[in-house]
Formats: sequence, structure tokens, C-alpha cells
Amino acid sequence: MCYHSALMMAVDRIEELREEALSAVASVGSTSDLESVRVRYLGWNNCSAELTEIKKGIRDLSPEERREVGGAANKATKEIETALAERREESVAVAEREKRLSSEAVDVTLPGVPYPKGSLHPSLRVIDEVVDFFVGLGYRVAEGPEVETDYYNFTALNIPPGHPARGMQDTFFLDEGLVLRTHTSPVQIRTMLSQEPPVYVVCPGRTYRRDSDPTHTPMFNQIEGLAVDKGLTLGHLKGTLAAMARHVFGEDVSLRLRPSYFQFTEPSVEMDVSCFVCGGSDPNCKVCRGAGWIEMGGAGMVDPAVLEEVDYDPEEYTGFAFGFGPDRMAMVKYGVPDLRLFFEGDLRFLQQF
Amino acid sequence: MRVPLNWLRDYVDFDLSVEELVELFSLRSQEVDGVERLGVLEGEVVVGEVVEFGQHPNADRLNVAKVDLGGQEVQIVAGAPNPYPGARVPVVLPGSTLADGRKLKKAKLRGLESYGMMMSERELGISNDHGGILLLEGDYEVGRPVSDYFPAGETVLELDVNPNRPDLWGMIGVARELAAILKTAFRVPEPRFEPTGEPTDDYTLRVEAEDLCPRYDLRRVSGIRPAGERAPLEMRRRVHAAGMRPVNAIVDATNYVMLETGQPIHAFDAREVRGGIVVRRAHPGEKMTLLDGTTRQLDEEMLVIADQERGLVIAGVMGAEDAEVGDETSDVLIEVATFAGRNIMETSQRLGLRTDASGRFERGLDPNMVSYAMDRVVGLLAEHPGGQPAPATLSHYPEPARPWEVPLRLSRAELLLGMPVEEDEAAERLELLGCEVRQEDGRLFATVPTFRRDLEREADLIEEVGRLVGLENVPERLPGVPLPGGLSPAQRKLRRLRHLLADLGLAEAVTYPFGPDRWNRDLALQNGDAGEEPLKLRNPLSAEATNLRTTLLPGLLDAAARNRSFGARGGAVFEVGHVFESSEQPEGMREYALRFRLAGETGLDAEVPTDLLTGVTEKGKVAGLLAGTIYPPGWNVPAFAAGFFEAKGIVERLVPGAIFEPRPRPFLHPGRAAAVLSGGVEAGWVGELHPDAVEKFGLEGWPVAAFELDLEVTEPDPAPRFAPFYNVPPVSRDLAVVVGEEVRVGDMLEVVSSLGSPILADVRVFDVYEGSQVPTGKKSVALNFTFRAEETLNDAVVKEDLDRISERLREVFDAEVRSS
Repeated sequence: MCYHSALMMAVDRIEELREEALSAVASVGSTSDLESVRVRYLGWNNCSAELTEIKKGIRDLSPEERREVGGAANKATKEIETALAERREESVAVAEREKRLSSEAVDVTLPGVPYPKGSLHPSLRVIDEVVDFFVGLGYRVAEGPEVETDYYNFTALNIPPGHPARGMQDTFFLDEGLVLRTHTSPVQIRTMLSQEPPVYVVCPGRTYRRDSDPTHTPMFNQIEGLAVDKGLTLGHLKGTLAAMARHVFGEDVSLRLRPSYFQFTEPSVEMDVSCFVCGGSDPNCKVCRGAGWIEMGGAGMVDPAVLEEVDYDPEEYTGFAFGFGPDRMAMVKYGVPDLRLFFEGDLRFLQQF
Repeated sequence: MRVPLNWLRDYVDFDLSVEELVELFSLRSQEVDGVERLGVLEGEVVVGEVVEFGQHPNADRLNVAKVDLGGQEVQIVAGAPNPYPGARVPVVLPGSTLADGRKLKKAKLRGLESYGMMMSERELGISNDHGGILLLEGDYEVGRPVSDYFPAGETVLELDVNPNRPDLWGMIGVARELAAILKTAFRVPEPRFEPTGEPTDDYTLRVEAEDLCPRYDLRRVSGIRPAGERAPLEMRRRVHAAGMRPVNAIVDATNYVMLETGQPIHAFDAREVRGGIVVRRAHPGEKMTLLDGTTRQLDEEMLVIADQERGLVIAGVMGAEDAEVGDETSDVLIEVATFAGRNIMETSQRLGLRTDASGRFERGLDPNMVSYAMDRVVGLLAEHPGGQPAPATLSHYPEPARPWEVPLRLSRAELLLGMPVEEDEAAERLELLGCEVRQEDGRLFATVPTFRRDLEREADLIEEVGRLVGLENVPERLPGVPLPGGLSPAQRKLRRLRHLLADLGLAEAVTYPFGPDRWNRDLALQNGDAGEEPLKLRNPLSAEATNLRTTLLPGLLDAAARNRSFGARGGAVFEVGHVFESSEQPEGMREYALRFRLAGETGLDAEVPTDLLTGVTEKGKVAGLLAGTIYPPGWNVPAFAAGFFEAKGIVERLVPGAIFEPRPRPFLHPGRAAAVLSGGVEAGWVGELHPDAVEKFGLEGWPVAAFELDLEVTEPDPAPRFAPFYNVPPVSRDLAVVVGEEVRVGDMLEVVSSLGSPILADVRVFDVYEGSQVPTGKKSVALNFTFRAEETLNDAVVKEDLDRISERLREVFDAEVRSS
């Protein structure tokens, strides 16, 4: 009984020590900790190493006890040694990988791979923005030729031959009866001739006038719009343009109309947008030059003569038309000082957009 | 129209700052282009009397005066030598500011105190005369402010008058407009004179070209004090402020009345007029030497005012030297007439001669303005320089213009303007503009005065009411658009195309579509080749911008050269735009073509395509240009330079499935040029530029590659279509073969794909090599094949397929397998 219990105590103790040692091995963080675990449990010269002490005492035991206790102690020792070896290997590998990774460090401040970066022309960016706005309202986009007939460019727009308004537009002429269009308005005529009302279109495109100085180029972009429907008023024109201006220049801008003259609209107006930079508060503002307003373009209610020309009944339908210059809008929006830059293909300019 | 505000006050009272006036005109009437100030802006100018005048003791070129300013004697140093003791002069006092920005201070000039300044006409804004001090002649009281006699400063509004408003080319019209805006009255000076002069009908008047001259009035003013007297100072000051040059008393009076009424007036020296005045078309080949010294040859569509022997004036444009008013003139014939506006415009355009008069006539003047203008000018000439108007005017006015009535429905006004319109308000505004208005059943009937020929229709009246009430009162509304709208498929595609090219690293350019003859020449394009004969502008800005482009390429090449000249080492740009080709018109088409172009009629045969009628074919193209080094090498990437395959790679993205056929173009490297075929149709080209073209466009030494495609065929974002795939690893095999160097890899790939292997998923060319280890005249082509099937492929199956490929390549191309 006594014998039995002393034996069992030693075996149990070995088991305890084994578990203790294995969990110590599992939890050490460094190679030196690993060594102290080994010394603590397996150190031969360490008199506080209990397992060693048990093994040293084996020879004093009876053969049966010796087999029993010895077997347990050897097995425990082996397991602990294996665990120690695995741990040791593992920590070497970790150290090696750490060393490798640190040797692989890069200078994160060096530039990344330069993926190509192109650009979109500033005027066309503005056109896209304006077109997107009108498409959102339900407009379509209409296009037409740049070499236009005299009829579509002038006469159908209530500008008959000899009319002084022809003199306002310095026109490039080709063969008799052909011009480079001076505005995108002929597209409106073509659109109305090809369909019945209601009409809601915008017409962006290149236009040409024989004019060249620091603020005029012989080619420029225009974007015009036309709406013909029952009950359209100048108020609809004003609301539409104000919403467009806020879309392009920000929520805070407002719109004002001034009287003007175009042969194909009556009443005719000019539209100004309040300065989106200074709102009129800065007399030295570079964008509005202190005026507080930026001229945006012309507009008006479609002249009854134009509606009649395309066989729409002006008593049944009214309409509004507007036009503005995306180049000038891009100039104010992006702060470009010189219109001529737009058409020179200069990369120092183009690559900024 | 330049509007001097002090002058404007003659006709209308207003109490507004310049800023308010500018805003009011801009928001209610015409845009104000600018504000100019003349003379003395602020401060004091008084009449002084020169007491002593002599040379400055310390300066040869300076004089010194003692001037009595009325109880105060001051010393003033002056440059001009013309004052003399007893002369009255305008003196601006220290502390004043002049329009040129000068601020006067008490100063010491070469050791002498100078108090203020004696002023020239220019400094006072009277004329451009800066030849001496203005000597005041007449009753000027010493010590009194000059402004008691005439304004010492002037503010001029520059109105940008719309072409439908010729009435605003005169001060009276501007005054009427301002009065209508302010709802106040305006007044017109009443001419007064004694008609005691020699009779006009010593001369005859004959209007031969009635169609070009609706009205012609002639009145004689005799007994004028000759010797080139100057106009009164205030008249000269006003004429100058309004932008014209004071000349002499007679000419200034005619110009003054033109500026006042908008009606140009001409004065002939009566003694030089032989027999009488004839209004006729010019004779063939008739020549006239004009006041500006030029001699012009006229044509038979030009209207001439002549006497019985010779032309005296190109009607409405400019007078000849003959019969012009001069210093000795004492007897004049005054012409006040109306000419057909369009004829004047055409004459003025053909002669390249625009004058203050022609600019007014060409807009179409009111013939009823003639009587007032005539009375006014002879009245002024009677006042100064003592002319005696003839008792009667000779007048040719067979069909007097009469006012007309235009109805206005208030409901229509409210519909167009989108705001409520009060009937009484509308009536009042129209009356202020000169209409007589009758109100009846919610409608107004406006009788429009003949000087407002732009008010013909209801919409015209609505505009007047709307702007005078104020467009700021129009509310902002959005229409409910009853249509779906949106971009068309082609427009969506174009958007994607532009974004794709930008994403690939190209910069979008917009270049002029017109260029010099050099363009086609330097591209070695033969004029006369189909589609290459450029359309020409009749009136180009310069010889450098005459021809419409037939390809987008030259504009991009010019841009590249420009970038190079600014130090760029290369670059990649693209442009989307139109090119223009002339299409030959069939015989007998001309008449229909012109009717289409001028009147919008498609002619008898509605089937005729409009391209034929215009003779122009416009096509949408996209072109890209890669030039030089597009990206320099980075620390971890090689340089990226222009080349055939760099350009081709872009085209492959734009036109998936394109076929590339070698096809030379005159401006491309003969061995590095390909036609791009899409669906069997040629849709563009890609290639490296010919060295000659590279050099001619100033890009020598740079690799240059380009492409141009019809927009229609591009498909930057083809519609996706799902293809099944299997979760089985693919098998990859390489095969290198040696073939003759002339063998085209594209053909080899075609043959491979024509074998139709069900397991071949992809072929990739990964090496092409010529040189050592490959026999002369041969090249090695290395291909990588990816095989894939629903189930795991075993080597035998793959090998069988690969063998079949090798075998076929051997058969067709005599390909020898190097390794596999």
C-alpha cells in the first residue's frame, strides 16, 4: 500500500513535471528562455531540476519500481527534449525570416511604377459636364456638320442675306453658299426639321469665326440648347440655366439675365453667372475682375419666325434656346488666362487636365 | 456709341452715380462696354488772367506766368509759349486729379514755385490739341469756375448698341431709352432760325436710283463767315467726347447733329456744285478720290451723290475731295438723306471702308428723322458761324414711311416672359418708348414710331416690356421634360474612346482644322488623289490657315514640333475631330446645289444626298501621335518610346479584332505601315512616319508613330459576352520554330487558329529572334500555348495537339522546330 502509493506519487509527479515543462516550452519567447526551461527541467547539474533528481534516485528503487518510474521519466525527458528541439528550430527559422525580411526592406519614398497618365481637353471636360447635366434633365445630344450651308447657318435662323446681323459674325466662306458654321445653331434647325415637338436637345461642337486676337480664336467650342414644347417661358429658360450654372460652378452661384439681341430669339438675353470665386466681394478678383459677374452666353425665346421656318406653329409651341462657350467656361473654371492655349496642342497645357 | 453724360443731361434728368447708370443700362437696355473719363476728374478749374508771362530763368524750354485767379495772384510754370499778358486761361488748382491719373500738387520746377497748371484742350478733354494752352475767347469772368461755362471733365459711357437699335446711335435715342427706364420725361432741342438765305432751288435735285435712296433732302445755307472758323468750344468738346475729331464749324455741326440724332449729314461747298445734285448708281469704272486721300474704283451697284458732271460722294460712306467744305466755304448745300442699308453695307464691305456714317446707314435709318435733323443742323449753322438757311428744302421722299400698329396680348406676354404683366405698366412702358397705345379687351395696340423699325411683331413688344420691367423679376422654373433623353450609343462610345485613350496615357488635343498648303505637301499627299484635294477657305485669316484638313495628322505633328521646340523629349497626343473631303458634283447638279445651300431646298429629286449638294464629305476621325520618348526611364522601368508596335497596341484596344495588312502610305515608313481592317473594310491606318515627313515637320531624330481611324469602326468597350470556364489547371507549352525571315507571324497565328483545336485556349508570341544560332535568312519565333479543357488534360492529348500544330507550321511555312 505504502509502496504502491510512493510509486504512484513519483509517476504522477513526473507526469506533472512533463506537462509543466511542455507548457513552459510552448510559452517561451526566445532562445535563451528555451535554455533556461531545459536547465530547469533537464539540467543534470541542477539540483533543483526535479525530474533529474527523480532519475538520479531511480537506482535506489526496486527493479519493478525502477522500470515503472524510469520508463515514465525517460518518456517525459524525451518528450520535453523533442519539444525543446522543435521549438529551437522554429525560433531559428523565425529569426532567419526576420533577418531576411529586414534585408528586403525598400525605400518607400522611391516613386511607384509610373502608370501612364493622359488627359482630357479642358473644353471637352466642360462640354461633358454640361451635356451630363442636360442628359439628366431628359435632353438628347444633337450634332451636325462643321461645313454648313448658308441657309442653315443664317437664313433659316431669321438672318436673311444682307441682314446686318451677318456682319456681326465674321464668317469663313468656302464654295458659294457654304460656310464654316459660325455657331451650332444650324444643328437646332436640322433637329427641328427632322422631328415634331417636343424637342429638348443640346448641341455641342466646334464653330468658326474669322477673328484672331488675344481673346478670340478663329475656332472655338460652343454648346447650344433648344427646348420647344407647349407652355415654355423665359422662366423655364432662367431656371434651366441657373441649375446648369450651379452644376458646373457650384451650389452658391446665381444667374442674372440682361437684355440682348439675337436674330433667332425674341426676347433675347445675355446670361451672367455670379462669380464663383469671390461672389462679387473682391474688387481685384482674377476671375470676374471685380465685376462680380461672369458673362456666360446668350439665350432667348425662339423667334416665331424660326418656328415657322421649320413648320412649327408658334401659337401652339414656344421654345427657348441658349448658347455658351465651353472654352471661356473652362478658362474661368480652371483659371486659364489665355484662350489661345486651348488649341495649340501644348503638352505643358494639356497635361494639366 | 459713346455717350458723354454731361451732354445726355441736355435731354433727360437723372440723379444716378456712374455705377448705377452702368448697371441700369446693362440690365434694362444695352451692355456698357466701358466708362471713359476725360478732363479733370475732381478738383477745381478756374478762369485765370495772365498778368505776366516770360521765360523761366533756369530753363530754356520753360516759361513762367503770373496769373490772376480773381483776388489771388499765383505763379505757374508752363511749357507752352502761347499765353500772353491779358489772355484768359483755364487753371487747374493743386489737389485736383486729371483723367490721366495725374494728381496736381504745388510744385517747384527748376527752382520756381508753380501753383496748379494752365491747361491745354487735351487736358480738359475738349480735343486732342496739346499744342498750347487753351486761350479762352469771349465772356469768361476771372476767378469763376470754368464749369460755369463748360464741363471741365466728362464721363463717357461706351454703349455696345445691338444692331437692331439704330435709334441708339444718337444721343436723343439714348435719352429716350433712359427716360423709359426711369419712367421720366425727356426733351429734344427745338431748332430756331430765320430762313433768309439764298434759295436752295438755284440748284436742282434729281434722284435716279430711287430703290437705293428712299429720301433725299437738300437745303442751302449761305452767308457763312468763312476762313475756317472753329465750332463753339462746347460743341467741339462734345464731338470730341463722343469720339470724333473736331474739324471746322460746318463739319462739326453736321457731325454734332449726327451724334445727336443718329442721322448722318453731308455738307457740300455750294460754289463747287455744278448745276445740281444727282443721286445715281456709279458709272462703270468710275473713280473717285476720297477725303482720306485714296482713289477708289466704283462699281455699278454703288450709289453716288454727284453733280451734273462728277461724283462727289460715295453715298453714305465718304465724300470726295471735290466740293468738300473748306476754309473758304461760305455757302453750303446740306444733304440729309436715307439710303438702303443693305446697299451701304455691301458698298462699305467691298471698298473695305467703314465710317461713322456708313455704320449708321447700314442698319437702316428712319426717313422721318431727316426733317428734324435738317432743321437742327441749319439752326446750329445759323447760330454759328452765322449761316442763313434757305427758305425751303428740296425734298425727294415719294413714299413716306408711316407708323404701324402692332397688337399685344397680355396673356401671350405672360406666357413668353413667365411672369405676370400689368396691362397699365406694359402700356406705359411702350408709350415711354414712343408708341401710341390703345387698350382694348385685354389687348394693347401699339402704334410704333418709324424710328423703331425693330418693333414689328408681338414678340418684339413683349421683349421691350420684359426688359423694362426687369428680367430679374422672371422666376426660375424647370420644365418637366416629357422625353427620356440620353446619349446615343455612338455618343456613349465616343466618351469611352476618349477616356480610354486618356487612360492609356495620351493627352487630348483640339487643333485647328485649317492649315497651309505645306501640310499636304510635307505629307507627300498628291493633290488630286481621291479625297486628298483639300477644300479651301475663300477668306482665310492667313496663307497658313487656308486648307481644310483631310487628315488629323498634320495638326498633331505641328503640335509635336511645337512641344519639341519648348524642350519636350516626346509625347503622346490624340484628337477626335472632323476631316473634310471634297466630293465632285455630277454635271448639272450646280443649280440644285445652290438652291439647297441658299434656300434649304433639296431640289426636284429629294433622293439626292446632301453630300453631293454641298460637295463636302465630313467624317469623324480619331488620330493618335506618339513622338520621341514618351516616358523617360524611371529607376525601375525602362524608357517608353514611340514605335510601330506602341501605336498598334493602341489601335488593337480601339478596334478589337482588327486585321493589319501591310499597305504603304506616302507619309509612312514603307516597311512599317499597315492598313487597319475591321470586318473586312479598311477603317484607318497605323505606322511609323516616313523619315522625310518626320524631317519636314521638324521632328528629325525622333521616332514618330501614328494612327488614324474612322470613328464609326472603333469599339473601345465591346459588349461583353460570357464564356464558360473550368476549374481545371491549364497546361502551358512553349514551341520555338525557325522559319524564313519573310514569314509573317500573323499568318502563322492564323494557321494555328484555323486548326480549330478544341483545347487550345490562347497563343502568345513571346520571342522573335534573328542572329547567331539562327541561320541567315531565318528567324526564330517562340510561341506559348495554353491548353484548357473541362477535365484535366493528360500529356498525351496536349502533345498530340502540339504535334499537329508543329506539323501544320512545317507544311505551310517550312517551319523547323527548335524546341518544344
